[in-house]
Amino acid sequence: MPSALESYPSTHRSWLIAGTVMAVLTILPFVLGQLGRTGEYWLWVATEMVIMALFSLSLNLILGFGGMVSFGHAAFFGVGAYTVALLMKKGGVGFVPAMAAAPLVSALAAGVIGWFCVRRVGLYFSILTLAFGQLIFMITLQLYGYTGGDDGIHGIPRPVLLTPLSYYLVCLALVAGSYLLMRFLTKSPFGLTIRMTRENPERAKFLGINVKGYQLVNFIIAGGFAGLAGGLFTELNRFAQTEFLHWSKSAEPIFASLVGGMYSLIGPAIGSTVLIFLKIIIQQIHQGLVEIWGIILGVILLGVVLFMPEGIVGVYEKIRARRRRPQ
Amino acid sequence: MKKMALRLFGIAAVIIAVMGIVPAEQVRAEEVIKIGWIADMGGIGASFYKSQKEGIEMFIEETNASGGFMGKKLELVIRDSDLKADVGANLARELILNEKCEYLIGPTSSAVALAATKVAKEFKKVIFFHTSNTEKLTTTDFHPYMFQVVPNTGIEGRGIAYFLAQKPYKNYGYIGLDYAYGHDQHDAFKESLLKGNPNAKIVAEVWPKTDEKNYGSYIPTLMAQNPEVIYSSLWGGALSTFIKQAIPYGLFKKTTLSSLYDLDMLRAMGQEMPENLMGYTRCPFYAVNTPQMKVFVDKYHQKFKEWPADWAIMAYDGLLVLKKAVDTAGSTDSEKVSKALDGLKWTSLRGERYIRAEDHMANVGIYVGVSAKDSRYKDFLILKDVVEVPAEKVWMSVDEIKALRAKNPQ
Amino acid sequence: MMNLQFMLFILINGLSQGMVLFIIASGLSLVFGVLRVINFAHGSLYMIGAFLAFSLSSLFAGKTLFAFLMLMLLVPPAVAVLGLGLEVSLFRRIYRKEHLLQLLLTYSLVLILDGLTRIIWGGQIRNVPRPEILAGSLDLFGLFFPSYNLFLLIMGPLIAAGLWTLLYRSRAGNYIRAAVTYPEMLGALGVNVPGVMTATFMLGCFLAGLGGVFMSALANIDLSIGMERIIECFAVVVIGGLGSVGGALLGSLIIGVGVAFIQIYFSRMALVFPYVIMALVLIIRPWGLFGKPER
Repeated sequence: MPSALESYPSTHRSWLIAGTVMAVLTILPFVLGQLGRTGEYWLWVATEMVIMALFSLSLNLILGFGGMVSFGHAAFFGVGAYTVALLMKKGGVGFVPAMAAAPLVSALAAGVIGWFCVRRVGLYFSILTLAFGQLIFMITLQLYGYTGGDDGIHGIPRPVLLTPLSYYLVCLALVAGSYLLMRFLTKSPFGLTIRMTRENPERAKFLGINVKGYQLVNFIIAGGFAGLAGGLFTELNRFAQTEFLHWSKSAEPIFASLVGGMYSLIGPAIGSTVLIFLKIIIQQIHQGLVEIWGIILGVILLGVVLFMPEGIVGVYEKIRARRRRPQ
Repeated sequence: MKKMALRLFGIAAVIIAVMGIVPAEQVRAEEVIKIGWIADMGGIGASFYKSQKEGIEMFIEETNASGGFMGKKLELVIRDSDLKADVGANLARELILNEKCEYLIGPTSSAVALAATKVAKEFKKVIFFHTSNTEKLTTTDFHPYMFQVVPNTGIEGRGIAYFLAQKPYKNYGYIGLDYAYGHDQHDAFKESLLKGNPNAKIVAEVWPKTDEKNYGSYIPTLMAQNPEVIYSSLWGGALSTFIKQAIPYGLFKKTTLSSLYDLDMLRAMGQEMPENLMGYTRCPFYAVNTPQMKVFVDKYHQKFKEWPADWAIMAYDGLLVLKKAVDTAGSTDSEKVSKALDGLKWTSLRGERYIRAEDHMANVGIYVGVSAKDSRYKDFLILKDVVEVPAEKVWMSVDEIKALRAKNPQ
Repeated sequence: MMNLQFMLFILINGLSQGMVLFIIASGLSLVFGVLRVINFAHGSLYMIGAFLAFSLSSLFAGKTLFAFLMLMLLVPPAVAVLGLGLEVSLFRRIYRKEHLLQLLLTYSLVLILDGLTRIIWGGQIRNVPRPEILAGSLDLFGLFFPSYNLFLLIMGPLIAAGLWTLLYRSRAGNYIRAAVTYPEMLGALGVNVPGVMTATFMLGCFLAGLGGVFMSALANIDLSIGMERIIECFAVVVIGGLGSVGGALLGSLIIGVGVAFIQIYFSRMALVFPYVIMALVLIIRPWGLFGKPER
């Protein structure tokens, strides 16, 4: 783990890049709109990518930033998803209040689960989050009267104003806003304290800092953002499904962080986007690859582990550093 | 700077290449009709996938040899949803929007089916279900672009209950996995059984968890209540595991087990399968005596060197419906094909069948029989004395469906 | 239903189930203890063991006890050799890397191994017949008890004893245990530490393969059995204490017997039981029942 504080670089250059990326992402749907039905599909995928980027970013608050590996983050994604599904489908609540409730309910769940989990460190924290995550998954599976069990809840209403285009823009705005909030958070005194709890929990404790308290708050915030992602994803698909709570869903943002680079704020979002793209494109490239897409994805991930363990952002930083060095 | 330019050029090349695939295929779209199949290839879906694929490929080969649909050749595009509903929904979109598929073939998992059917509805493309059989597909989640050629959970549960209710049994046991399918089957079974035989009683119920591999606690629990029949909504590997573990307990000496004995399951059990168990199956190649089935089975056996499982037959049957609907509509357009589906009569491998106009459920019943050895098939037992419980006797009436839909608006 | 015979019956069933779980989970625990790697692919190796058992049993085509013993003798070493290949080519490169990268590695192996298993064995449900002599049942206390489960009840303790002897009464075992507690010291003493790690990994794979053989005759096997079992094994390992073989035994018995009884009296709780126990242990005694607090 890099111990330096400058693992979250902030320069004018990065603002420039961020602005450009935002501009491209905002124009993107209008470009895709010119591509007919294919564009319509890729707009849908882009929306999924934006939402899943938020899910990965939210985990990274705990993972890269807080230094705690949660194996149960899907619990909060799923709780957000089911909150929106139940409120909109069965409660007749509108889109905006339902979407506002999702992060709140998830944060509440994260508060309860986190209270137990932050008392444990390292691997024990990880496995305890896994245990709680699976508990929520199993309970959702069994309360089929309310949750539809493994069939899930289908047919979530779609407000008339939400076309594929406007929904993409709504998601993009929410995710960009969340990103800015997270960025602000990581640079705030709160963020600096969290970072200290990651680098040197003993020292933080000696300084009279309530380490567990800070970690719990961080856990709750991360859970809230995950809940928002879950809610948005449910409205996109118009269903909520137990799969959203399963541990394999918890693994997705972890792998996204690794592939993208977990020691930068934006890395997990990049990793998530790349992984979603790979999963889709492997099946599309050639008919013969459809049956072995799992093997191909496995080999690619293996390549990441062996040859670029610092992730995409890490490789980028390395290249930049090399270029700066006088030849 | 030069390096950077090169890299940018590379990225642009990739994007152009990806986008380039699309127009190239649009040219071909005029000559072929694409059928997209959202398959479940992994995990428990794998054994179904193999049979389904063989049935579907056989149909496409035959149809293309005889001129395709309205003179257009068929092309199959397969995707793996990995038994995940959100992946399935994404793939259904991809198949319709990106691959320009005119029809979709459904998956194995009911959860994926429920997700995929919504996408087909959104884009008004015909989709059919041959293996996933939740009753929701044709009731609460119905739309006119779908149809189903597999007996659904209601037809199965009520069908076997209808059959058993005519027998003198009084004490019943039930074992089903603790998830939606198990509960749907249980409710349909119980209601129908008590209607047909008010003296019947379910004396023991057990609900194993979905990935159970050890039924050692459930078997004696069921046996303790001395049921004469146990109805089970287990299937596939779970069912064969249950039977395998129940044999040494002597369960089948006193009790018969009524369950889904599809060919894959019978093949997995091999000669270990006990005789004289009264069960049902969705589409047995050995017991349906239509000339069409005979031709199909011979050809299939010649081609793949094995007998067609229920899944192969029903997938093939669904495509027969599609072909008939296209011929009737006089068009390959999904909108017109969907209209032609209402009340469509077609010659199924199972005999003359039709698609009910109100819910697009085919009148396909279940086949009930007793497990027995047969000299023609060395590797597995079959059901003998098979009778069909016709769908009309047990499926939901149109009024019931309408009431259900009114209660669960989409 | 409450009578003593019935209870005993369930107890024996739970114990025999716990034995299979122990054989698989002890491998996972050992590998974690020495290599500090959570091997997600352990479930896939177990599945490969089960499918190898299927292939070999159709080769022998007999339902004799001898044929089954051959499976027990041949399959685990085969899986261990596969483990050797994986350890030398892949795992060895990542011991010094972060835990998370190791996790990604084992996950990518799950994808690859599961895919290869499907290519090699197809997706059908497979059945390995029990040997004739174990296929029936014994009459105990007026109840029929499946002989195969009794066989597992004998094999489980034998394997546990064998493992114990290997770990506590042999030089290799001394090294393995030392590698768990004092990895740095071991190197300083001139012991070939990478060799110890390879051997441990192979032992873990051996146990996964053996678990596969036992499971293949107990239940039918398909492509989902690996993923199904791995989380349950985690629960066992966590409950017993990471890296502790004795703990894995205790954890397996708790889960095996506990689930067997819960299935009878609160069947709806059976699914969550392992996770509840796992969470409780982590909250109250995080290093597990047999483990030691992390230094």
